[in-house]
Amino acid sequence: MTMYKTEPLRCWKKAKELRLKYYKDYQEAHSKGGIRWTGGAWAFDAIPAGLGRDVYHITGEPYGASLAFNRELSLECLEAAEAKGWARDLCSYMRNYWGSMYLSKYAFGGEYPNPDFCFQDHICCSHGKWYQHVAEYKNIPYFCIDVSVGPYKDLDENRLMFVVNQMHESIEWLEKITGRKYQDELLIEAVENETRCTSAWAEVCCLNMAKPAPLDEKTMYSLYVHGTLAKHSKEIADFYEELRDEVKYRVDNQIAAIPDERCRLMSDTQPPWGFLKVFRYLEQFGAVSIGSLYTFGLIGIWESKPDGSWGPRTTPMQKGKKITSRDEALRVLADWNLSKPEWQHFYDPNLKTEMMLQIVKQWQVDGVMLHLNRGCEGLSCGIMENRIGIAEAGVPVMTFEGNMGDEREFDEKRVVSRIDSFMETLGMKMLDKPAGAVQSS
Amino acid sequence: MFAKFFDWYENRHDYARDWLAKNDGEVVGCFCSYAPEELIYAAGLLPVRVLGSHEPQDVTEPHIFGMFCPFCRDVLAQGLKGRYDYMKGITLAQSCLHLRQSYTSWKNHVPVDYSFYLYMPNKVQTDHAYSYYSEELVKFRKSLEKWTGRKITDESLRETAELYNENRRLMREVYDLRKQSNPPLTGLDAMVMVASSFFVDKKEHNAELTRILPDLKSRKLDRETGVRLMIVGSEDDDTEFVKMVESVGSTIVVDDHCTGSRYFWNLTEFTGNVLPDIATRYINRPPCPTKDWEERTRLPHILNLAKEFKVDGIILIQQKFCDPHEADMVPLKDYLNSNGYPTLFLEFDVTVPVGQMRIRVEAFLEMLGVEELF
Amino acid sequence: MITAGIDMGSKYVKVVVLKDGVIRGKAIGATGFEPVAAAEKCLEKAATDSGIEISAMDHITSTGAGRKVAPNISSDVTDVSAAARGVVHLLEGIQTIIDIGAEEGRGIKIDANGKVVDLAVNEKCAAGAGAFAEAMSRALDVSLEEFGQLSLKSDKTIPMNAQCAVFAESEVVSLVHAKTPKHDIAKAVHDAIASRIVSMVRRVGINKEVALIGGVSHNPGFVDALNRGLETQVIVPEDPDYVGALGAAIIAGERSH
Repeated sequence: MTMYKTEPLRCWKKAKELRLKYYKDYQEAHSKGGIRWTGGAWAFDAIPAGLGRDVYHITGEPYGASLAFNRELSLECLEAAEAKGWARDLCSYMRNYWGSMYLSKYAFGGEYPNPDFCFQDHICCSHGKWYQHVAEYKNIPYFCIDVSVGPYKDLDENRLMFVVNQMHESIEWLEKITGRKYQDELLIEAVENETRCTSAWAEVCCLNMAKPAPLDEKTMYSLYVHGTLAKHSKEIADFYEELRDEVKYRVDNQIAAIPDERCRLMSDTQPPWGFLKVFRYLEQFGAVSIGSLYTFGLIGIWESKPDGSWGPRTTPMQKGKKITSRDEALRVLADWNLSKPEWQHFYDPNLKTEMMLQIVKQWQVDGVMLHLNRGCEGLSCGIMENRIGIAEAGVPVMTFEGNMGDEREFDEKRVVSRIDSFMETLGMKMLDKPAGAVQSS
Repeated sequence: MFAKFFDWYENRHDYARDWLAKNDGEVVGCFCSYAPEELIYAAGLLPVRVLGSHEPQDVTEPHIFGMFCPFCRDVLAQGLKGRYDYMKGITLAQSCLHLRQSYTSWKNHVPVDYSFYLYMPNKVQTDHAYSYYSEELVKFRKSLEKWTGRKITDESLRETAELYNENRRLMREVYDLRKQSNPPLTGLDAMVMVASSFFVDKKEHNAELTRILPDLKSRKLDRETGVRLMIVGSEDDDTEFVKMVESVGSTIVVDDHCTGSRYFWNLTEFTGNVLPDIATRYINRPPCPTKDWEERTRLPHILNLAKEFKVDGIILIQQKFCDPHEADMVPLKDYLNSNGYPTLFLEFDVTVPVGQMRIRVEAFLEMLGVEELF
Repeated sequence: MITAGIDMGSKYVKVVVLKDGVIRGKAIGATGFEPVAAAEKCLEKAATDSGIEISAMDHITSTGAGRKVAPNISSDVTDVSAAARGVVHLLEGIQTIIDIGAEEGRGIKIDANGKVVDLAVNEKCAAGAGAFAEAMSRALDVSLEEFGQLSLKSDKTIPMNAQCAVFAESEVVSLVHAKTPKHDIAKAVHDAIASRIVSMVRRVGINKEVALIGGVSHNPGFVDALNRGLETQVIVPEDPDYVGALGAAIIAGERSH
């Protein structure tokens, strides 16, 4: 007899289809006379959208994660990168991506489909360099926008304009290299969809405050990924609103992710993609990971509400504001993205600690699991100070070392042993007969 | 001849304490060679670069995750161990993520009265960087004025910028002497000369440079030059390593790293607006890889140096875990090799197995040709 | 109340039998390739040693790497908790425990009741301790026991890179080539390992008193280096090898209520 009822996600099938379609569209773009480009998940994908409705792209990080999930292929890619002489401690997404490019093996079958240009933004050290190499290897044009202008709370006109000016420049550059006339209406549409998409994802995350949590983090990974693929897309914005409605229905009917939820945890940084089963292991203790700053704030856009709580950022449309010009669209786009939670800690780990403690409070979290991710210097930046801050606030916290994209650096047995110790600290014993969460691995 | 520079380099804390006793100002620690020291100096403060001490340490693990570079951890260790307890202010002009953590952890755990984080652009290749950064420097100036209670006038900035230019010019002049077939100074001398400049009042550094230059020009070293080498990498003030390399039949005649030529290579050009001029100088300087995109400007710059200084071979010094330099390493190596410059790749930590490296360096020198060793 | 604790270590199985809180018997045996058989044998030995039949035991708890396959058990517990509980039973006033095995070094922060409050582990970088010491003793052609004693003969401080075991090994080779006396090298190695451990333990905070357990606690050279690094004297409990099994036996007692 479990504590809560559970039910598979109805939109699960659609989630899978949308993702595969995205990768297929990119692959087939040229055959339909369309444009292909590549860049990071944080790139301003709304901007190239102004070139037409046949513009497709792949974002490096989710693509790298897809490769990492396929451990055999990933190893080939990593070794190909090492054979070229690249160091093993470089961003593991990047190494997977480069390997896929060198071997010309597309993670979704067939050859690596060549992009027409690279378009990126830069906040961590590797961002700008990643596509610099892709561009020189494939001999294609490259434009990268510097967004490292400081935390959102200190944003001023000078800093905003630095980003916006580069964005304007990038549009001129896009026109030049593609020979296409830029369409501002498409940009405006894309920006509006992006605000809707990322705000809706934050709504989904908020619903996980409920007890029992309607979603577990492993499931959320398969859902937040769409926002990393094409956050400006109408389809994905629509999907997130549909998802939000379904999750609300689950909350209203007390439908749980983990039918024996007794303990709520929070993680941090990207998970070890080749070993997501550690989340299933947690379920054996009745422990559910309700999310993380990463899951919430990589794509989700948030704001502080009048009562001091954290909630989805109000979109321009919700404020009754209509974007009418290219400049306005770019300003909204820049401001919107600069408020991204996962961009704040690059300047001060204390900002991240604050946000994490906010999540602990609002989502009623019992313990925090920090993945010391050797594969990502960006999200691991300052993580030990986060640990100190969380521990000093009296919240139980554990760390485990691993690598999001390099399975050779993940010691499953050790991590399981760490989890066992942590669960003991929390006073949680294994369930006698655990019923797993409903989504398949 | 370089004894004073060695003294400054080895006794940096004594110098700083002495300066504090004699001056009515504070010492401000800079955490990257991009820090616009001119503003700090013009405020009557002494800017000093915080470097590590090349010793093993056990204090930083709770603060900086072990997979970030040993250098940034060595830097933080100095603060945690109280070696800079006389230093009341710190500042960072952002570049890489690694060193950034030294700054933020320092701020959290080492008592300071003043700190300022400069959001220096990483895209130095856009024209928009100039006006953006000039505005950020205005903020920095205001902040320094508030802390010190002193006004930083444009004249004092201009004077300071000229003082710094003079220091750069003088060091360039010394470097130029290394182009000769028998350089009158070793790579070790040069390294310490530059590194010592981080720690002292530029006025004094200039005075010493001016003093030795005439004699230096006619100096004849009692050693064989041997193979002419260049070192390229990130932060490196590993004097043990340099000593070893120069003891096995070679001389380091030029470098590209941030405790070397990158720090002083270009001058401030004056157009009438001193703060923007200073901003321009820092944006245009030889870049750290983290700021070298979309184009690779670093590669032709290094090649030019190799040509000008008639280098025979290049040692690539890769600080372990330093992502920015690792991300350049493959194209850099290929570029140099295809332009006729053999390279030796060595991975560095804050202490290095000099014995093992010696074997590799000797093998490299042999490969570069016996006729070079005479 | 009669309980037993079985510590299924990767190298050795240890068993402790407790009656009303007093140790009545113990035994140790090599794990080999048949951990279950080894555990059964060891449990029998401990039972004989205590004069108590296995069937008379109220509750048996296992711990250690192989705890899930231990025979005759009523429950299992992680070796972290077992070690903490065992130490608190043997020593007063301990707030920090350092546990160094062959493969893993740990820093454990405990409260007054022996409950684990925080944990740090030697991660991939600067990994290992016991295994490294063994490798270095082989490189110097001395036994592991001699290696520790040798280091105590030195009064030099030769800095060795404390971060990367591979770099450190390179440095040892350099020292050998430079004809550095063996005892000085031995001390340098011990200092380097101790430094890694101290570094790791700082994450949980070095709060006195500090206890040291695990195989490396038998190495006097290492204990000396650790004391210098921590700037305090660590306390090694009697029979440090049995601490885990003892802790498991104590926890067995709590669980059978």
